[in-house]
Amino acid sequence: MNKEESYTDLGTVRIHKNVIVSVAAIAAAEIEGVKRIGQDFKSGMLALLGKKTNSAIRVDIDKNGEVRIEIPLVVKYGFSIPEIAAGAQDNVRNALEKMTNLSLREININIQGIEKGE
Amino acid sequence: MRAIMVLFYASFIIFIGLALIVFVVALSLGLIQPQDINNLLLSIHDSFYAKVIIVLSGILLMVISSSFAQLILNRFQREKTIAFATSSGEVTVALSAVEDLIRKLAGIIPEIKELRPDVIATKKGIVVDLRVTLKSEANIPELTSRLQDITRSKIQEVLGVEEAIVVRIHIAKIAAIEEKDRKRKEGDKEQASIPFSGYGSA
Repeated sequence: MNKEESYTDLGTVRIHKNVIVSVAAIAAAEIEGVKRIGQDFKSGMLALLGKKTNSAIRVDIDKNGEVRIEIPLVVKYGFSIPEIAAGAQDNVRNALEKMTNLSLREININIQGIEKGE
Repeated sequence: MRAIMVLFYASFIIFIGLALIVFVVALSLGLIQPQDINNLLLSIHDSFYAKVIIVLSGILLMVISSSFAQLILNRFQREKTIAFATSSGEVTVALSAVEDLIRKLAGIIPEIKELRPDVIATKKGIVVDLRVTLKSEANIPELTSRLQDITRSKIQEVLGVEEAIVVRIHIAKIAAIEEKDRKRKEGDKEQASIPFSGYGSA
């Protein structure tokens, strides 16, 4: 399933997975201590070509419409990872609930690396 | 499902390998003549469909190889993590991230020239193997003890884990002081030995 659907009196509203990915990426990057969103093979290759994507964020929507998100993060050196992860999870949950009314089952954070902060 | 995919990719690669081996053996035994290869290449060159088939086979081979590589890499990445659960979901920390963290410690301790960490997560806890290159003036027992304490406390502070952390240190090399550092030290000494050197400069 690539889109989350909701019904109104006037018709259907479909939210594409890419929208969920973008909201999650922005919300996660807002947390202090997050350096950037991590990369997977595909986004790494695209980054080499100069194209920036957040395709490393994985979104799964099950039959009940519940969403499971996996966000890879690279954090800044010197920050507490549990605090950053909890902050990112809360911020992503709030942003997605506020913007999309989605029912979130899990927000999994994967810390890929630690880099020097600015 | 993953096991079936790995089996499929592995058997595909083994098949290609075997085909190559058979080809080389046949060529070395004289079962295939260079003229046969030449004829085959000429027929491919002349036929449009043969060219299309070759191109498509090449693309298919590349796609299958890259998916296999991705599958294997993902599996390794999944295994090499430290995980803890929160109310919103799971948090996994790649062991390479912990290695990044430890590598940054080299900047804190001036006696360390180079630090190569290797982190392993076991059921009993986290094991950190450090290969260290020291500068020659370092006091090894004091330094290693300090490095173990700093590494342990930094991992606990950053990861928030309560598991046992074992830090093993291997001094791989003791490097001589670089010429630049030596000159700077000598310069500092000379500057310090000149009495009343501050007079007249203001």
